Amino acid sequence: MVDSQDMVKKVFTQKSARIDTNKGEEYYNCLFENAKQRISMLQKQPALKDIDMIDVIESEGINRRDFMKWVSATTATLMLPPMFEPLVAQATELMNRVPVVWIELQDCAGNSEALLRSSAPTVDDLLFDVLSLEFHETLQAAAGHDADRQLEEAVEHFKGKYLLFVEGAIPMANDGKYGTIGASGETFHEHLMRMSKDAAAVVAVGTCATFGGIPAAAPNPTGAVGVMDLVKGKPVVNIPACPANPANMVGVILHFVLTGQIPELDSLLRPKFAFGYRIHDNCERRAHFDAGEFVEEWGDIGAQNNWCLYKVGCKGPMTFNNCSIIRYNEGTNWPVGVGRGCIGCSEPDFWDKYAYERPMANANIKAPTGGVEKTVDEFGLGLLTATTIGIGLHAVASAIAGKKSEQNEEE
Amino acid sequence: MKTVDIVERIEGEAKLVCSWKENKISDARIEFLNFRGFEYILQNKPILDSLVYTPRICGICGQAHLKATVEALENIYENVNEALVITNKAKLLREIGLNIEIIDSHIKWFYMFIMPDIAKLSNDIKYNKYEPLKGSLWLNASRVASETIKAIAIIGGQWPHTSYMIPGGVMSDPTLFDLTSMQNYLEQAIIFFENTLGGIDFEEYLAFSNMEDFLKTNGSLIDFKNIAFKNNLEKIGKAYDSHIVLGSSSLFESGKIKIKNISKIDSSKISESSINTFKVNISKKENEYTWSKTALYANEFYETGPLSRALISNRKFIKTIHKEYQDSVFTRVLARMDELAHLLYTTKKLISKVDTSEPSFIKPKYSLNDIETAIGSSFIEASRGSLSHKVEVSKGLIKTYDVITPTVWNLGPGIKDKYGVAQKAIVGLDSISKAEIVLRSFDICSVCTTH
Ligand code: SF4
Ligand code: SF4
Repeated sequence: MVDSQDMVKKVFTQKSARIDTNKGEEYYNCLFENAKQRISMLQKQPALKDIDMIDVIESEGINRRDFMKWVSATTATLMLPPMFEPLVAQATELMNRVPVVWIELQDCAGNSEALLRSSAPTVDDLLFDVLSLEFHETLQAAAGHDADRQLEEAVEHFKGKYLLFVEGAIPMANDGKYGTIGASGETFHEHLMRMSKDAAAVVAVGTCATFGGIPAAAPNPTGAVGVMDLVKGKPVVNIPACPANPANMVGVILHFVLTGQIPELDSLLRPKFAFGYRIHDNCERRAHFDAGEFVEEWGDIGAQNNWCLYKVGCKGPMTFNNCSIIRYNEGTNWPVGVGRGCIGCSEPDFWDKYAYERPMANANIKAPTGGVEKTVDEFGLGLLTATTIGIGLHAVASAIAGKKSEQNEEE
Repeated sequence: MKTVDIVERIEGEAKLVCSWKENKISDARIEFLNFRGFEYILQNKPILDSLVYTPRICGICGQAHLKATVEALENIYENVNEALVITNKAKLLREIGLNIEIIDSHIKWFYMFIMPDIAKLSNDIKYNKYEPLKGSLWLNASRVASETIKAIAIIGGQWPHTSYMIPGGVMSDPTLFDLTSMQNYLEQAIIFFENTLGGIDFEEYLAFSNMEDFLKTNGSLIDFKNIAFKNNLEKIGKAYDSHIVLGSSSLFESGKIKIKNISKIDSSKISESSINTFKVNISKKENEYTWSKTALYANEFYETGPLSRALISNRKFIKTIHKEYQDSVFTRVLARMDELAHLLYTTKKLISKVDTSEPSFIKPKYSLNDIETAIGSSFIEASRGSLSHKVEVSKGLIKTYDVITPTVWNLGPGIKDKYGVAQKAIVGLDSISKAEIVLRSFDICSVCTTH
């Protein structure tokens, strides 16, 4: 856990980080003042839960130093300069001022699982003890009609204040009959509209809730769509990936606590702090990509030496996400770490465009134009229509041996 | 009279509709009302895409779906007489991954899904520790599960939704250091078993053979037993007491038991009925009320899951408990927790057998795309019971893909006058809260069921 946090910090404070994280002194000073005011305002509010973060942390045997380490890594993850660290620490303690309601629609429960499986500095504590999770169907105590009632009450009581987390797509075909919820048989669509009406912001977690996900794969039998296709007139934040990374969920909440606003988003409504660069930009195998050293097939010499996975289908160069830094399961590992290659699970349409577990050379997709230094807004959507290939010069040169596959790509 | 109850705190949601006569449940319908359509989505997709799709059927047993898919694809090679060579190392890493997923699922199921309901049956404040999101044991269990699952991340890259298996082997190549870390994570689960769940030395637990032994334990298992017996949970939840295990592994044997004898499986006798199941794009008929299908063996209902596995693999302790209390809620829950102990033991052994010098992957001589048409199938033991995948391919594309999940065996609708397994276990009960516990004792996964 700590290792990956150090890495986060290093990457975000390095000059080489690929998107321009520095917005200038004036901007940060202004944000700092706003955040300070917001925090003192929140401090005056009664806590939704009477729990002190530092008590929790200490009772769990996490020392203050580790907590501060986590704070500084998290500040970096949110792309804020170190001067924000004390505020982030305070905000962490104030997470119980922001109520969260979590609903599950057409899902596999994978994002809930991912959340449960995370705990930095035991997010169990952060989220379950401190964060005011007012409703989560799978995790809470109440069930059945009690749960229905609890949800109603939470939504009524926190009108205009709660963050609505949505997991799962929304089936629109056949009048929404492919997914209903509760005793009344309300459709997922109706449920989403009702729950989002009074939310301060809606956070779609996982690729299903953001872009429709696997249920929306051709021929999309249930007419699945994402939250942003339906919820209009209020802030929507997308945290795609399959599963979404819990660190990014916590990041969005913290940012909201800190500033009262949702973080800056890209054209696909993804927070830039997490999706502002490609996994390829910070990949541990990147040096091999640049050196033209590729795994040609699983189990070969390249695989044994952790070379670049581009030729066995890695979609890292076209996938915006921070898993190469944050990793999964509390920083234990990530797909490229086991030699599998990225499948682009945080990109729209990944299920039909990127899902191929086979060499890119045979896949129906094209690598993006313009090398690897562009940020998402420059080609995020354009990527879907990109037709030319532009992988690193060295990569092309090294691929001469694999000429046939390169030709296939060009077809 | 009719009542409608919503069962949450499962993976997904189920609706339990009961009819009552003289204060007893006279009929019960279990409705799964959420559908995604994986079998339709998989049609016409390139064959290997299934390795990305099927793990996403479920956020909690994705490893099982991944393994089922990879083995169904490998079965295609067998069926065209070109069986692949899979190294022992690859086989081990696959089984280890699956076992860890089951371990994780069992820990979580006990503390997050069933114990909160069981604890509610008692007013004693000492059981507050089981309260969701707050109780000390709830939090502790969630932490241990998070630690344990890291062992999969080491070989699988992440969890949930891992895709590290491919026809021919696995993509990962753990070092000795990786394997030691995995052992350490499992060791933490064993310590949790000793200190919290069982409250007894691990080796001592594994040697248990009867109830007397069990009474020596001093942890959550005894809390469970005490509340269960006070509420007669050893007397309710009985279904047909016929059991089926389709997959096999180092710990599980395949077979079926009806009445007494264990016999071999003939896979051609497995069938699926959709009489009571909604159909895609066709307006619903009178008797259609759920997205779940019905799974049958030789036209009979069978239960699947840890209890069935313990009985068919002849695990002594559970066999004695079963003799006394049959397929009751008590036996079913205990069998699952007993399996947890055995899985921890076996999996640690399996990890120590991995030979890092062996290759992880041997490339198939030719691609699945070169096969004109073929069929492949597989049977896996997942957390909740037997899982089967069947795929038909033609010229590089998937023609049909059929998945039968454990919950379809256990909670699928009955047909004609015959109740499904869980229905049978519920009919005759005198309260909804008991019905809910019986339902939960099968460890329902609604997202898998309807896929
Ligand atoms: S192509 Fe994939 S493996 Fe290679 S450097 Fe980029 S992200 Fe890493
Ligand atoms: S590496 Fe790629 S496929 Fe894997 S989780 Fe990250 S974005 Fe998704």
